[in-house]
Amino acid sequence: MQDVYNVLPSLLEGLINTIKIFLLTLSLSIPLGIITALIRLSSKKGLEITVRLYIWIMRGTPLLLQIVFIYFGLPIIGVSLNRFTAVIIAFVINYGAYFAEIFRSGISSIDKGQYEGARVLGLNPIQTFRRIILPQTVKRVLPPVANETITLVKDTALVYVVGIGELLRAAKIASNRDATLIPLVTAALMYLILTAILSKVFGRYEEKYAYYR
Amino acid sequence: MKKILVIALLLMMSLGVFAGCENNKETSGDSFSDIKERGYIVMGLDDTFAPMGFRDDSGDIVGFDVDLAKEAFGKMDLELKLQPIDWSMKETELNSGNIDLIWNGYTITEERQEKVSFTNPYLANRQVIITLKDSGINSKKKLEDKKVAAQMGSSSVDAINNFPDLVSSFDGGEPIVFDTNNEAFMDLEAGRVDAVVADEILARYYISKRGKEKFNVADEDFGKEEYGIGLRKEDKEFLKELNSTLDELKKSNKGQEISRKWFGENILR
Repeated sequence: MQDVYNVLPSLLEGLINTIKIFLLTLSLSIPLGIITALIRLSSKKGLEITVRLYIWIMRGTPLLLQIVFIYFGLPIIGVSLNRFTAVIIAFVINYGAYFAEIFRSGISSIDKGQYEGARVLGLNPIQTFRRIILPQTVKRVLPPVANETITLVKDTALVYVVGIGELLRAAKIASNRDATLIPLVTAALMYLILTAILSKVFGRYEEKYAYYR
Repeated sequence: MKKILVIALLLMMSLGVFAGCENNKETSGDSFSDIKERGYIVMGLDDTFAPMGFRDDSGDIVGFDVDLAKEAFGKMDLELKLQPIDWSMKETELNSGNIDLIWNGYTITEERQEKVSFTNPYLANRQVIITLKDSGINSKKKLEDKKVAAQMGSSSVDAINNFPDLVSSFDGGEPIVFDTNNEAFMDLEAGRVDAVVADEILARYYISKRGKEKFNVADEDFGKEEYGIGLRKEDKEFLKELNSTLDELKKSNKGQEISRKWFGENILR
């Protein structure tokens, strides 16, 4: 128990970074995902192909490689970002692509009758999307979004490659220093608590949206 | 109200991210005059690498190399900034100008000399064979048909591979490589490998942490090597300055004091 207590300060410091990366990525990549999904579903051919290419590249290459490329590769063409900015950009555009596909499947799963009904009621396309389509989409995409969000918590560990400290790195440092596995076990517990909270939050949302049934 | 607060908070955080964009650094030519002008130097190190550079309980970066660097750059009137990096990215970080030097138990090898320029060596090191106390392994020859472990990408693996005939006589025909030395030592204690080959300095640190009575260090080793400080090839003036500061430090009482603090004896050279 004393060992756990000793490593807590450095692990908590790492945890704060993990949460920071997590919250920023989530709050920026979900809007990006919605916009991307709408473009993908739109009839503008040029834009749609660009978006497809973006999704293909982001899902087709490892996130680790994307981080390395944005931090170490972009300075070659004169774009020099600091460590944290580079990492956030990499995470946001990567997760944006995954969220885009989730939202696209959600939006296109809504029955055509919903659009027709909205038109009969005299709603314009923007009202239709905001009032009718989006709430039903949110309800349907909640489980896959929860999945993606939990994966994100664990993916934050990848930032080690540009030297940013986070929970897992802090645990590895303590484990190397003290030559024990206790810091790693402590970190595992912290990850579990974090994902338990997220599962709870998403569970609440699912209940809240259950009335549409 | 709560929603507005959350949104405001997130906005502020994202503003912080983009406000932090750095200016593009000029990396061509000797950068020592720039370094002197701005008054600080950025040292890259792997903050998992005890006892040379690592984090203590409260998260501060400490270690033998860190103490030595503080002293050296104090003499050169430069403020020292420590930048943790991923060890596999060290030369990329250096040559892209994110850090000014690598100082973290950095073994001088021919391969690395093509990418960076090294200062004079400041520490001698051996690749030693560590076994459990009663193994009876005291020479390289005794490693025949045994399982031998080392850290991935370390100079220990290179040292082992200098003896190809011996390597092919190992159980499995090649060394077993682990991500960290810590894991190699845990496997040794669990009895799944028979010997670990590691830097003597690191090995002594782990042995003292895990219990001296459990291990034996063989008399014969896999060769000698030296630690140096890595700089960009262009920084010739910086190299000259750092070498003379380092020479001064090695002879001084302060340098010997730092060595005794971390290793119990003066092993600077």
